Amino acid sequence: MSHPAARELETDSLQSLSQAQVGCDFQIKFVEGPACDQLRNLGFCESLQVRKLADGRNLICSVCGTRVALSDDLAKQVKVSPVAA
Amino acid sequence: MDEPIEMVALAGNPNAGKTTLFNALTGSAAKVGNYAGVTVEVKRGHTHTPNGKKLEVVDLPGCYSLEGGSPDQELSRNVLIGTHEKVSKPDLVICVLDASNLERHLQLALEIIELNIPVVVALNMVDVAEKAGLRLDAVKLSEELGVPVVPLRADRGKGIVELKQAIRHPFPSPPDLSWEKGNEESRRAFGLATSELSARRPSAHTSTVSDKLDRVLLHPVLGWVFFIGIMFVLFWSIFSFSGVPMGWIESLQEFLVGQVEGAMGEGDLRDLITRGMIEGVGAVVIFLPQILMLFFFIGLLESSGYMARAAFLMDGLMAKVGLSGKAFLPLLSSYACAIPGIMATRTIDSAKERLVTIFVAPWMSCSARLPVYLLLVPMLLGGSEGGSLQALVFLGIYVVGTLTAFAVAKILRGRLGPDEVESHFLLELPPYRLPQWGYIFRHVLERGWAFLRKAGTVILAIMILLWAATTYPKLDSDDPAEVLAHTVVGRISHLIEPIVKPMGFDGRTGTAILTSFAAREVFVGSMAQLFQIEEADDEGETRSRIRQRMAAEKWPDGRPMFSPAAVISLLIFYIYALQCLPTTAVVAREAGSWKWAIGQFVFMTAFAAVASLVVYQLANLFSPG
Repeated sequence: MSHPAARELETDSLQSLSQAQVGCDFQIKFVEGPACDQLRNLGFCESLQVRKLADGRNLICSVCGTRVALSDDLAKQVKVSPVAA
Repeated sequence: MDEPIEMVALAGNPNAGKTTLFNALTGSAAKVGNYAGVTVEVKRGHTHTPNGKKLEVVDLPGCYSLEGGSPDQELSRNVLIGTHEKVSKPDLVICVLDASNLERHLQLALEIIELNIPVVVALNMVDVAEKAGLRLDAVKLSEELGVPVVPLRADRGKGIVELKQAIRHPFPSPPDLSWEKGNEESRRAFGLATSELSARRPSAHTSTVSDKLDRVLLHPVLGWVFFIGIMFVLFWSIFSFSGVPMGWIESLQEFLVGQVEGAMGEGDLRDLITRGMIEGVGAVVIFLPQILMLFFFIGLLESSGYMARAAFLMDGLMAKVGLSGKAFLPLLSSYACAIPGIMATRTIDSAKERLVTIFVAPWMSCSARLPVYLLLVPMLLGGSEGGSLQALVFLGIYVVGTLTAFAVAKILRGRLGPDEVESHFLLELPPYRLPQWGYIFRHVLERGWAFLRKAGTVILAIMILLWAATTYPKLDSDDPAEVLAHTVVGRISHLIEPIVKPMGFDGRTGTAILTSFAAREVFVGSMAQLFQIEEADDEGETRSRIRQRMAAEKWPDGRPMFSPAAVISLLIFYIYALQCLPTTAVVAREAGSWKWAIGQFVFMTAFAAVASLVVYQLANLFSPG
């Protein structure tokens, strides 16, 4: 298990799905926040890939082959890193 | 003695194709059961295994996990662990998984396998998965899980025979778990690894037809153009195409009245059957075509996948009044009839948002108000029906109702405070699919029958009571107005005249309003009766005669009784008043409280009366006479 400080450092270097660029693929690193169970149930699990399809008040993402619309507040709880092309 | 029938439960995520599989397994024997206090439905039916053994099939509500607190999850969990009051513990569970989305759907299957009940996995929508480029390996999945896995396409009936083979006796024994029981992290890791092995995804993201359609239908500008266009076609079709079947119902009603009048001599019993029962219930049943058409279009939009997009588009607008995009569908449905609209609020996650939506839904002008608007609006426009000006006034009426509903929703949402568990907008956008016609028509028929059974029985009882109140006590006179004034309703109207006069109405109009409290469309018939107008064969002609008579009516001081101020006041009353007892009954059931339903009735009636009073007095102030 990773050290809390190391994880904090890693979290800081990541971007949230809310900040991520549209049209790119990302890997989910952490899902943290009050709605994390709800997000995991819809497929936002650590290590899975997600593609951001549209931005706005509500974002559209493709995860596990499903398109999901989620509010910006929820997208902030999903930390991602870019997938190398 | 008969052997007890064993029970098979269907469980899975929403949108996994469970209902389609349920219908494929049970045929048309599906029965919908509503359990009091639980806002989710459980479907029951029967199927036979290849060796002829009868099994009961129970379709549990779709849920993502068994560990949540929402009513559907609680119901599924209670059934699966055998603690539900009305549904016994299943002897076998069929876990329905969407093959194109195994990473997510497998998590619930693993939770169910942990319960130590015999499980068979139905790997549905294999065609969608293969089209998306997934390499499926059902044998590998079965080896990893330790339970039988049957690939199938429930919509085409493919794989159903194999599934029936898999649920034959002896049922498969629960497997030894390859993950740590009760440990969510271990279960999730095992699920993801198993998905990777048995449903390998292509590395590159491929753009699907749904992606391309969404680029247009969810576009910030084009999306709205399509949305408005679709809504326009929906309403235009409902109001244009339903005219013909409504005419059939009217003819049937006239035929029945004719038959009864021909077979029975004059008397109270004949009057009760014709005026009270046939015409009274007919006044409600006549709206069945519009309701069926609305359900057809809603089924079409839901089945094609567009409804989720509409909710997505509307979320921003609805948020301005404290609601979410999920409240859009119930409010849209309420334009045809508030009853299905209120029932559709079940999809809203937030309990407080759901209550607010239920509260304001009856202010979306429903189709039952149309006959009243059709009678009154031409009186403001020189007497004739039709034309663009009338259409504009109609639009104005719909806008007034909708804007008031939004304003009240905003105030009420603010007063109810935030939810205990904060809810966010999170919605799956399913891939666009061709509509499943069989499912849509079955759904339309089910809803139509429910409308006839529930609304029809309540209305029948009220109509009989109303008939008695407008008939007794009797008076030996030839003047129908005098006879009516002597009855219970007439006496009540005499009592209420001082109350309705400041709103611009006399006792007869007040009585017509009173009779329409059970169902507002009764107003037109009551006005004809109270103002002694002989009904014509054509409904339009009857309305025209009522209008001419209303226009000629004067107060004792010589002022016209139905001045523009009085007509507008009457229109305002009908826009706002909740005159539909079946709606109040449905609100009580859906909100789980008669207090809420009665509160809504009292508030809306008081609001309508005050608005009507203010409008009449202000109009008189600026344009006396």
